[in-house]
Amino acid sequence: MDSESVKRAIIKQVLTESNMANARQLIEKINDNCFDKCIPKPGSSVSSSEQTCITQCMEKYMAAWNQVNSAYLRRIQQEVGNNGGL
Amino acid sequence: MDNAVDQHDIERLNDKDKAELRSFITNEQQRTRIQSQTHNLTDMCWKKCVTGPIKSGTLDKGDSTCLANCVERFLDVNIATMKHLSNMRQ
Repeated sequence: MDSESVKRAIIKQVLTESNMANARQLIEKINDNCFDKCIPKPGSSVSSSEQTCITQCMEKYMAAWNQVNSAYLRRIQQEVGNNGGL
Repeated sequence: MDNAVDQHDIERLNDKDKAELRSFITNEQQRTRIQSQTHNLTDMCWKKCVTGPIKSGTLDKGDSTCLANCVERFLDVNIATMKHLSNMRQ
């Protein structure tokens, strides 16, 4: 491998790993929060209304993540503009 | 991993590519720090804002406003704390 392809391989590997870590964190949070919301009293199986709740909760949680992320980025940008960062 | 990079490969990097990688890593660290903080904030603000039963897969207006306010106020607290601490040090 020459320098260029070593560099590319490193970048690819770092991106793969950080995207995996991000997905893992999201899945963990969705599990915690949607289990909490949708299965208040665990029964002998997941009922169909619980199943619906879980699906909607996942979508809603991801929407919340995006909302929080853009509010956070907006604020960071604003603070950087004001006085050089948080 | 099939294309894993080892110590031997790293030694082949020229100075230009090393510098590029350093700045890539710096950016990547910042990106993951923000993502990770977003995970914490979402968890915290979800618990404060999405209090009723789940009735749909989308955020309603109230949820949405609450989430944005939650982020803003959390950061206000963050900044206030840092200011207070830095005043104490002087």
